Amino acid sequence: MKLFWPIEMGFEQAIEEINMNSTFTPFDKEVLLFTQALSKTLVRMRQMPEVVALGYWLRKANIQEMKVKWEEQNKERFIKPRGTVFHIAPSNVDTIFVYSWMLSLLAGNRNIIRVSGKGHSNVLLDLILTELAKPEFEKIAKQTIICTYNYDEKFGEMISEICHTRVIWGGNDTVQTIRQIQLNPMANELAFPDRFSLAAISAEAVLNLGENELNELLDKFYNDVFWFDQMACSSPRLIAWCGKQHEKAKVRFWSAFENKVKNKRYELMAATQVLKYTTSLWLSTETDVRDIENGKYFSRVHVVDVPIEARERHCGGGLFFEYDVEHLSDLSKVIIDKDQTLAYFGFEHSTLQVLVDSISTRGLDRIVPIGQALNFDGVWDGQSFLKSFTREVVII
Amino acid sequence: MTNPYHLTKAEKTPLLLEKLNVLTKFHVSQSTEYRSMIEKGGFQITANSLEEVPFLPVQLFKLLDLVSVPKEEVIKVLTSSGTTGQQVSKIYLDKETSIAQTRTLVEVMKPLLGAKRLPMIILDTKSILKDRKSFSARGAGILGFSNFGRKHFYALNDDMSLDVEGLKTYLEEYKGERILLFGFTFMIWQYVFKESIKQGIKLDFGDSILIHGGGWKKLKDEAVDSSVFNQLLHDQLGIREVHNYYGMVEQVGSIFVECSKGHLHTPQFADVIIRDTLTFEPLSHGRQGLIQVLSELPKSYPGHSLLTEDLGTIIGEDDCPCGWKGKYFTVAGRIPKAELRGCSDTFQGGARA
Repeated sequence: MKLFWPIEMGFEQAIEEINMNSTFTPFDKEVLLFTQALSKTLVRMRQMPEVVALGYWLRKANIQEMKVKWEEQNKERFIKPRGTVFHIAPSNVDTIFVYSWMLSLLAGNRNIIRVSGKGHSNVLLDLILTELAKPEFEKIAKQTIICTYNYDEKFGEMISEICHTRVIWGGNDTVQTIRQIQLNPMANELAFPDRFSLAAISAEAVLNLGENELNELLDKFYNDVFWFDQMACSSPRLIAWCGKQHEKAKVRFWSAFENKVKNKRYELMAATQVLKYTTSLWLSTETDVRDIENGKYFSRVHVVDVPIEARERHCGGGLFFEYDVEHLSDLSKVIIDKDQTLAYFGFEHSTLQVLVDSISTRGLDRIVPIGQALNFDGVWDGQSFLKSFTREVVII
Repeated sequence: MTNPYHLTKAEKTPLLLEKLNVLTKFHVSQSTEYRSMIEKGGFQITANSLEEVPFLPVQLFKLLDLVSVPKEEVIKVLTSSGTTGQQVSKIYLDKETSIAQTRTLVEVMKPLLGAKRLPMIILDTKSILKDRKSFSARGAGILGFSNFGRKHFYALNDDMSLDVEGLKTYLEEYKGERILLFGFTFMIWQYVFKESIKQGIKLDFGDSILIHGGGWKKLKDEAVDSSVFNQLLHDQLGIREVHNYYGMVEQVGSIFVECSKGHLHTPQFADVIIRDTLTFEPLSHGRQGLIQVLSELPKSYPGHSLLTEDLGTIIGEDDCPCGWKGKYFTVAGRIPKAELRGCSDTFQGGARA
């Protein structure tokens, strides 16, 4: 067990005392000031674009907009925070725990956060701890515990007993493991298991782009794919090419993208190169795979169907499944429960709606333009955080 | 007696290339999986140079059962060593490939060991050989090398403790004779060398020759390399001649042993190519990269050209001061594991890490 916050007492005392502190009302002033202060610090971290994105999300205007929307939705309702929210953060998308925590804090809750033990980016945590230590945020500080521990230690059990909401980030194994830990019967739970994401590109739209526009599109696509080494669950792993001129569009898109990755100086690693090579060869033994192409910066696997195994074998690091359809709605037959985000380029809103309408599985929770695949939002995997982090008291 | 280290590059290359091309063609016709990889990957079946021979990553054998003979002809399945829970490679041998493996091992080792069988001490436990149909890398190695010795003595008890009394008796009995010692680098280090230090046992293995392999991964953490290892074994156990070898269960026939100058050598029926770690382009001598191994033996499974995860450097070709021909090289260890960021492994980051 390593306790990052509080600093003046031990974990067990902190756990005992946390529920004695009263909660905030949703969008409390102190909380708003805290998010603004944090935003200012984080947007300065230029060398960490994902932290800048987090800081940008926390900026005053965005939070204000969220507040206005929330107030509109809850007019004449009596909404209270749940109480204490237990966040179990993923190990590698190191900004997720902050989004999860901030939304819970905005809802008014006390928060206990288990960050990953790996912590190779403690910069973010250190910045947060500095803000938390400031006297003007004393009330928030008293309602916050940030720690890390091994799962064989029994701290997860202790926290699960006293929390009112449990949030599990981090894949199927984590969700299964944590779910074996008894949860306070009064608590609700949000779980974020493994997901798979894709992009849909209109071949004709790509061919109609000017050089500058294509470059812009590739910049956005690069961010969606490589910010988290294609390992974020919302990073596109399958590219669906729609239209008629598939091959022509692919040649244009991929050759330009190769230059893009090269110019971005994306850091390649030997183990990832071997892994992509291995995975593509492994996949090539399946009848659903038509051909494979291994390049220095990425590998392409042309598929004629997308079974769940193919999704599970995906290794990240720049491996693209490619699937050709004539109409976007044809994509609906391969969408499965696991599919989360569709990043698109070159489609009208109505065409996207037709697609969503024709999907019969649980698949697709987000449909966003290419470039916004990683943008975190108050609604994720189909659930609204502010809703799940609050409760409505009925007074008649 | 033939020496497999007498062919120069100009003599060896066309012979080996011809055999490898025949194998590629054979496996394409016999293994559906291999055919898919070659065809869908756009590889050439007939290569014009050794560098052009298509190569499979060794990890594929952990993911797929790759066999080029009817399953009923398989007489032996080799498995890679792997810690519990890890996937292991499965290598299927038929009679022909298995016999070829034994024969080449003899040819590779003869220049070092001579034709006569030596009294042999295996620095391992006998229990590793329990299952005769399915062999771990350690079991297969021991069984293969056992052919070079007689009066086999296993130096470790089943519980991995050192059989000190047995060893002393054996050494006494064969005093003055040349003794063959064989074992796995880590086992020797952990259970023979360290144990003898701990117990204060000084042994003298006399005029012995130690052959060992299996990798330096665990010893590297203790900053022990080949020269330190040799020196310490010499000082503590009186072992005067030590030869490391490099090889892997996934490619039969690829046994690269150290010559008298401490360089790993390629025999005539196998070869190594060093490739850039990012582009897999072949590198010139002297540059470090991923080791690709080639062998003319694997006929029962498509393993004649494999890309390993080991880093190595070719020092030279045909001009080693030891007199042996062929490429000679060093191995620097495994490439670092991929540490991709991503949101799907909280759990591994915790207790299981």
